[in-house]
Amino acid sequence: MRTLRSIFRRKLRATLTIFGITIGVLALVVMGSIAEKLSLLVDGGTEYYADKVIVSGSTGMGGFSTEPISTDLIADIEDVDGVARAAGSVMMLLETDPSAVSMGVAANIQATDFREEGFETFESEIVEGRALERDDRGVAVVGADLVSRLDAEVGGTIDVRGEEFEVIGILGKTLTAPDMAVQIPLADAQRLLVADLPSAIAESVEPATLITSIAVYLDADADPDEMAEVIAHQVPDITAMGPAGFEASVKEPLKIFNQIIYAIAVVSLLVGGLSVVNTMTMSVAERTREVGVRKAIGATDGAIMRQFIAESAVMGLIGGLVGLGLGALIAAGGNQAGAASATELFLVTPRLAIGSVAFALVLGVLSGLYPAWHAARLNPVQALRYE
Amino acid sequence: MEPIIRVTDVTRRYRLGKQNYVDALRGASLSVAPGEMVAIMGPSGSGKSTLMHIAGCLDRPDAGEVWLVGRRVDTLKGRELARLRGREVGFIFQGFNLVPTMTALENVALAAEYAGASRKTAAMRAQALLENVGLADRLRHVPSELSGGQQQRVAIARALVNEPAIVMGDEPTGDLDTATSNEIVGIMRDINRDRGTTFVIVTHNPEVAAACDRTVQMRDGVVDGQLLTAG
Repeated sequence: MRTLRSIFRRKLRATLTIFGITIGVLALVVMGSIAEKLSLLVDGGTEYYADKVIVSGSTGMGGFSTEPISTDLIADIEDVDGVARAAGSVMMLLETDPSAVSMGVAANIQATDFREEGFETFESEIVEGRALERDDRGVAVVGADLVSRLDAEVGGTIDVRGEEFEVIGILGKTLTAPDMAVQIPLADAQRLLVADLPSAIAESVEPATLITSIAVYLDADADPDEMAEVIAHQVPDITAMGPAGFEASVKEPLKIFNQIIYAIAVVSLLVGGLSVVNTMTMSVAERTREVGVRKAIGATDGAIMRQFIAESAVMGLIGGLVGLGLGALIAAGGNQAGAASATELFLVTPRLAIGSVAFALVLGVLSGLYPAWHAARLNPVQALRYE
Repeated sequence: MEPIIRVTDVTRRYRLGKQNYVDALRGASLSVAPGEMVAIMGPSGSGKSTLMHIAGCLDRPDAGEVWLVGRRVDTLKGRELARLRGREVGFIFQGFNLVPTMTALENVALAAEYAGASRKTAAMRAQALLENVGLADRLRHVPSELSGGQQQRVAIARALVNEPAIVMGDEPTGDLDTATSNEIVGIMRDINRDRGTTFVIVTHNPEVAAACDRTVQMRDGVVDGQLLTAG
């Protein structure tokens, strides 16, 4: 309380200083929440890719390829030593002309041949309705982030590439790729895939032989990165990607992106910190006489130091809390605004919230160190004479 | 009787610039008996305040000895000096020098807290003292809501809160009108009589000096005369 009264003795100045910290923390929270969202997305990917090899067409980039390949490859790959099971799947973008630039994963269609059953450990939970079954046709399970965009409800229908699909299930939120996916039966996906091909080719292929990627499950003792090389070597005209490939193609660029985001936020927070240094230095100069009096009535240097550090720490803390509040508000508002188009951009995680407030607090303490030290060192007699 | 304050041949030079300095004290000596009320008078720049600061552990001499309550203090380090100052010496200043954001009660309690009292004990002692100096109804007022006389009474209560043996006043009535000044001197006199607290008061005011037991006259950094008050 005393500390607060001391700080707000100069209301405008204290408010402006705290506002400086607030803006810094706001930037940290808002930008950090984007980074957190992307990180979780990628963490999900890391988990998914950890134990397997993803095979796709020769131009593809691992599991992100939409280039058609033949189902014959499944058998070829299962012939490779160390491979336990290969499962084909089709992935394609939900929109034929993805007009909106999206952060993270674009809305997509996914279908699988169920050969992964018993091998896949990454599971998405069904929160409503049921999961796809082998003989389903014309039905869909919708990812959490696409529910409002597609206006999906169990029993209703959604429009997938101009065709109507009955919604039989809704996926729980995973905070990673499946949130942006519509799962449909493989045969339906293959038909849509062929429809996408140039008509000359489309007429000559059998839809049931087309997939876009193969998930390769390995024997327990096989190293997925080594196996990726082995498979790429033995099976022609494909690319095979293990966990290291995912790291290199997705995780590393994201890490750099995150570092840039955090660097910008931290710089803006440091500017706020400098304004605390300035305010505290002025405050000490103005209160030189008060310091003299406090010393005269028995304050030790340590007590003076603690007093001023407490003031700058409290300024940092208030700025941090207000910044977190505003940042969380902006993130929530942004997500609400983006909900219709399924672009949830922000995620304020507990570690981000605690981290940014703690950072503001530490910054407050550090900013107060020099002014406080200066105050503590004042000679009481000279401080008392100071006008 | 062993003096409670003994300052012997003390010198103190203040540096103002590289070549520029002032010899505030040039071998001043002063001895004060326990329970005595002493006024220090002298022209501006004669070293009265410096002598008081050194005797009160706020400043250290360049040479000479300072003994306080039976202890040599001129050789003490900052922390011990601050402790001793907090417990054994109370200060009253001309400009009252209360912390402006704190209430009367908090200002008085602060000194007790610095001396190690808990917040609760400090507040209790502060309240009792403020009631003593007639401010029972002003406990929660901040200095700007108090008159000069009332502020100085808060300062007196603050000086007494750690039950120091000595109270030092640096022109304690300098900013007050005559009536209020007499009132403050009266309060100090009462405390001196009732509690046996030793007072050392730097003043320009002959009436204040007349109310003390003895007046010490300073000139050019030395004590050059003493006058016992009749009565």
